[in-house]
Amino acid sequence: MIRFAARRLMAIVPLLWIVLTLVFLLMQLAPGDPFDVEAQPGVSPGASAALREAFGTRRPAAVRYVEWLGRLATGDFGVSPSLRQPVLELVARAAANTLRLSVLALALQFAAGILLGAVAAAWRGRWIDRLVTSGSSLLYAVPSYWLAMVLIWIFSVRLGWLPASQMRSLDAQGWPGPQRFGDALRHLLLPCLSLVLPAAAGVALYVRETLAAALRRGYVRSARARGASHGAVVVRHGLRSVLLPVANLAGLALPGLVAGSAVIEVIFAWPGMGRLAYQAVLAHDQPLVLGCVWLISLTVLAGTLAADLVCAAVDPRVREATA
Amino acid sequence: MSRKAAALLLAIAVVAVAAPWLSPRPPDLQEDVAGGRNLPPLTRANAVAVAPHRTWIVTSMSRTGAGWSFLRSGARVEVSDAEVVAPPEPRFYLLGTDGLGRDLTSRLLHGARHSFGIAAVCVLLSLVLGSAVGSAAALAGGWTDMALMRGVDALICLPRLVVFFACAAVLPPSTLLTVLVLAATTWTHLARLVRSEILALRGSDLAASALAVGCSRARLVLAHLLPATGSILAVTAALRLADTILLESALSFLGLGTPAPTVSLGDILASGREGLAEASWIILWPGLLIAAVVAGLRSVASSFWTASEPASV
Repeated sequence: MIRFAARRLMAIVPLLWIVLTLVFLLMQLAPGDPFDVEAQPGVSPGASAALREAFGTRRPAAVRYVEWLGRLATGDFGVSPSLRQPVLELVARAAANTLRLSVLALALQFAAGILLGAVAAAWRGRWIDRLVTSGSSLLYAVPSYWLAMVLIWIFSVRLGWLPASQMRSLDAQGWPGPQRFGDALRHLLLPCLSLVLPAAAGVALYVRETLAAALRRGYVRSARARGASHGAVVVRHGLRSVLLPVANLAGLALPGLVAGSAVIEVIFAWPGMGRLAYQAVLAHDQPLVLGCVWLISLTVLAGTLAADLVCAAVDPRVREATA
Repeated sequence: MSRKAAALLLAIAVVAVAAPWLSPRPPDLQEDVAGGRNLPPLTRANAVAVAPHRTWIVTSMSRTGAGWSFLRSGARVEVSDAEVVAPPEPRFYLLGTDGLGRDLTSRLLHGARHSFGIAAVCVLLSLVLGSAVGSAAALAGGWTDMALMRGVDALICLPRLVVFFACAAVLPPSTLLTVLVLAATTWTHLARLVRSEILALRGSDLAASALAVGCSRARLVLAHLLPATGSILAVTAALRLADTILLESALSFLGLGTPAPTVSLGDILASGREGLAEASWIILWPGLLIAAVVAGLRSVASSFWTASEPASV
């Protein structure tokens, strides 16, 4: 098990290097640099030249690449030319903001999805199954950012109950603790719902399908023959065998935890990773783009690894097949 | 259920292909921004030419003595016959207009044609590339297989979003770029699928008998093995098509898709986001259309799969 984990861990480093080098090369092809915006009326033409000199954006790409790799090895990501702040600081703050949203969303998505899917499979063909299945198929087909706009229209524009953007109210700094917490929660609700509803629908459909297949298996029939109740059969025998495919599905969703959903973050002005990467790209901010790519790729790779490890831990057959 | 879904998909496809002939007006025509903006669905309006190159879009038009009386951007206006250069023409906005006075019916038709067309081309490209790489890896085995599949693994690891953002930063947005980037992030999964399917079929009686009668390896793959994977490929392609439609609309929504004047469903949604408070119908139509097509594709794929799957599995 440990050797399996170590081998997979070793493979991450070269992959990460390849990804970052590819993005570095792509960025070299880009026309313009972050200081183009400085060339405005009222700003002396020397200003952008001086900034270019200070940030060293005009030196040969090969020199910058070697230097950048060297600094990367020591954990130095440089300073973002467009935001004038250390990249590591920006990325860390954005990742924390994204985590706040995505951890809650992922937990809710799987809790609701598994529950609904199990209920539908347990009463297969009844009205509740039909309700869950048709509702989920519909929700699963809806673009999450469209749902976000519909929710904003209902709850912010029409009813005026919930805020439509940002993570907290502007004047929340000076509020007492409980009020600040409530304010953060209210801001969290709409983006979280827009992420959770379509994703939970997908999980529910998947769980229903796999659980219904599991309930047709022979060992479930023998459990029934021994007199086990319907609930016990579904929970103890059915759901347990569904755990592995669902764990796999959760592993696939892990990378999204830090990468975030760019569209949802842009709509709700949520200062997270997806929005930061989007802004960095629009600003041609190379150190920032590379910093975002580094973190996102790292979590994608770590997430895939974690999913494989969970599967290997749960199911010995996986371990033997790859060891 | 899925028969209905298939019929619905077919109807949408026909309408989308015929969009240029069906749409009442050009999708980016702004006849009168001030008068024609944010008109709700089913609005019956009139176009009044008040000067040789100046048209007003007006509602509740009626005849008064020697002129016309009508509403334009909420205000009642009266003009005499002398001021009107051409007889008023009727305008019917079935789905309403957007914040720039553009007809949403025309925009939706053109947007559907563009979005679904791009997704279809992208999935076709990925099918070709994925089948080629997947079957080459499966047949060659050894080092070639290893190199190809590690390459595919590395590509799958690249976060899709990062690829889009990096490409959008480097190249000016265009239809070609959108198709290529979408296809580049779709084919890898198909390559993996084709490889594993062909590996499973390689030792089958089908392959053995084809080789026994002197079939070449290229012919074995093209004429026998790939067609045998047809049903799973078709199902996967339909699911990928649904995903690609969702992704393309998100890209255009972020302004990273095809630039104006081409209309994508995501562009309509982006324009609806700006006018969410006063014209909520703008986002309604493209959202419902995308949801219908995506749900339809998934429903057809799943019933096709149930029908083609052997009962014992």
